[in-house]
Amino acid sequence: MALNYLASISHYVPELILCLTMAGLILIESAYDRGVKGSAKGMMYWGAYLGLLCSFVYLFKALGTEPLQIFTRSIVIDSFGTLAKMIMVLGTAGAIFLGRQSLDIYEEVKSEFVILTIGVLIGGMLLVSANNMLLFYIGIETLSILSYVMASLKKNDERSSEAGLKYSLYGGVTAGLMLFGMSHIFGVLGTIQFTEIIPAMAALTKAQALVLMPAFLLFFVGIGYKIACVPFHMWSPDVYEGSPLPVTNFFSIVPKIAGIVAFVRVTNTFFGGDASIVRETWVVLLMIASALTMTVGNVAAIGQRSVKRMLAYSSISHAGVMMLGVLVIDDLGARAILFYAVTYLFMTLAAFFITSFVQDHYGNDHFERFNGLMKKHPLMSIVMVIVMFSLAGLPPLSGFVAKFNILAAVVSKKYYVLAVIAALNSVVSLYYYMKVVRLMVFKDAESDEPVKGFIFSNQVVITVIALPVLLLGVFWEKLIVIAGGAKIFLQ
Amino acid sequence: MISLNGYLIISFCLFLAGMTVMIARKNIIAILLGVELILNAAALNFAAYTRFVNQNLDGHVMSLFIIVIAAAEAAVGLAIVIRFFQIKETIHIDDATELQS
Repeated sequence: MALNYLASISHYVPELILCLTMAGLILIESAYDRGVKGSAKGMMYWGAYLGLLCSFVYLFKALGTEPLQIFTRSIVIDSFGTLAKMIMVLGTAGAIFLGRQSLDIYEEVKSEFVILTIGVLIGGMLLVSANNMLLFYIGIETLSILSYVMASLKKNDERSSEAGLKYSLYGGVTAGLMLFGMSHIFGVLGTIQFTEIIPAMAALTKAQALVLMPAFLLFFVGIGYKIACVPFHMWSPDVYEGSPLPVTNFFSIVPKIAGIVAFVRVTNTFFGGDASIVRETWVVLLMIASALTMTVGNVAAIGQRSVKRMLAYSSISHAGVMMLGVLVIDDLGARAILFYAVTYLFMTLAAFFITSFVQDHYGNDHFERFNGLMKKHPLMSIVMVIVMFSLAGLPPLSGFVAKFNILAAVVSKKYYVLAVIAALNSVVSLYYYMKVVRLMVFKDAESDEPVKGFIFSNQVVITVIALPVLLLGVFWEKLIVIAGGAKIFLQ
Repeated sequence: MISLNGYLIISFCLFLAGMTVMIARKNIIAILLGVELILNAAALNFAAYTRFVNQNLDGHVMSLFIIVIAAAEAAVGLAIVIRFFQIKETIHIDDATELQS
């Protein structure tokens, strides 16, 4: 169902609230000069939280309503996108909380960090609800361009500006390749509207469809870059390492989930039709890419010294697992991805929070810094242990349920080899996750001095974030039902 | 009158030129120029396909948006390059070696 412009706006409230929040924050930031900025800081954060909360409430209200195409069918509001947006809003709130505490971002650019995160969030929301190629491109570029700035937020740091440089060069190239692919898809199919692509593809002869394959490949480059799948992952470890830690935390949640969710939508709207040679080729391509992504991410994570870089590689391999849910091209896969995204959000947030406070205390985040944390901060160590087990996918934690769902979707399509590869990767990942646990529990600390960041309020927040990791492992039915009800709008 | 094939060949040449520049040149500014060439190839494709294949405005709108967003991307990219230059006093891509494991 299509709506006119005025009626469309009432369905676009969450994004509009965030746009207003961002504009308001820019005004607040420019209204105070450096001297009194301390008082403006609180206002910045509370303004941001308020905007995110309002947006979240409106998204929650929109959950489960009939799918709608708004703004002359360029944007689709369906439960699938809405649930993904809710996950991203939560991730942004977590990143802002960490950004306020972290010493890794200079004090004078903290307000910029808040503004930029909300900007990236708006881009991500555009991307997951895009219903034609134009909006898809705008979404991906809003997401990327602001991310380049965030990566080089530590202005005088050599590594940070190099991270921004690499990110922007890779990003520009892949965006160009994606557009070139899009232009040929548009030329052959005669439409940029996602909903019209399946009928247009059905009308093509086999030879014409094969000619389209290179164009789809180029299109895949653009998305593959955003979710850092092999072979377009080269930028990812460098950017994740060079950026300040709260930015890394943000990058491994919001752009990644937005990319995966948009990928699911694109794959379903392009290839959701009858089995064809193009669809088969696409699935084989994704199989190779996802198997490589899982393996490369895991193998590279083993040798790392820095926990942040280890988490960056592990987020690459998690993207590989999520891609398994993309390549099955059905509702089961979409449901598994949404569930995975929720658990991934909480696990990543908790792991990065703890790493950040340890890093702020010791000045670096090498594995040895976790030595003997169990004696000094038992609660935080237990949370870290739970999160690490869950990231590795051990029962009875939520990471296991998430992986199990993905594997169930894969097995139902009879891709047994992929399921075996994913299970083996889970075992490999256990090695480096256990390394953190082993150091925390069995090694002696260098000093008895408690970590400064773990004050009472932070411990409460980290524990609350980690609770869903534990609870969703046992009480997962409810979330599965919600995620299963969040269908993708096809036509 | 130039046919659709003429436009497609030109845009493909632009695309190849852009790729070559990105792979062969080591100067960061030159790489950014190569990106612009690729984006222009895509924009030209969109305009040509709209003119010859389907007569609605979709392709024209795409081309306009590509121009605008390319400008935004170039602005941010150049700002980062300036930052990089101030720190390292070079814009040679091979000197960006801090972040290699």
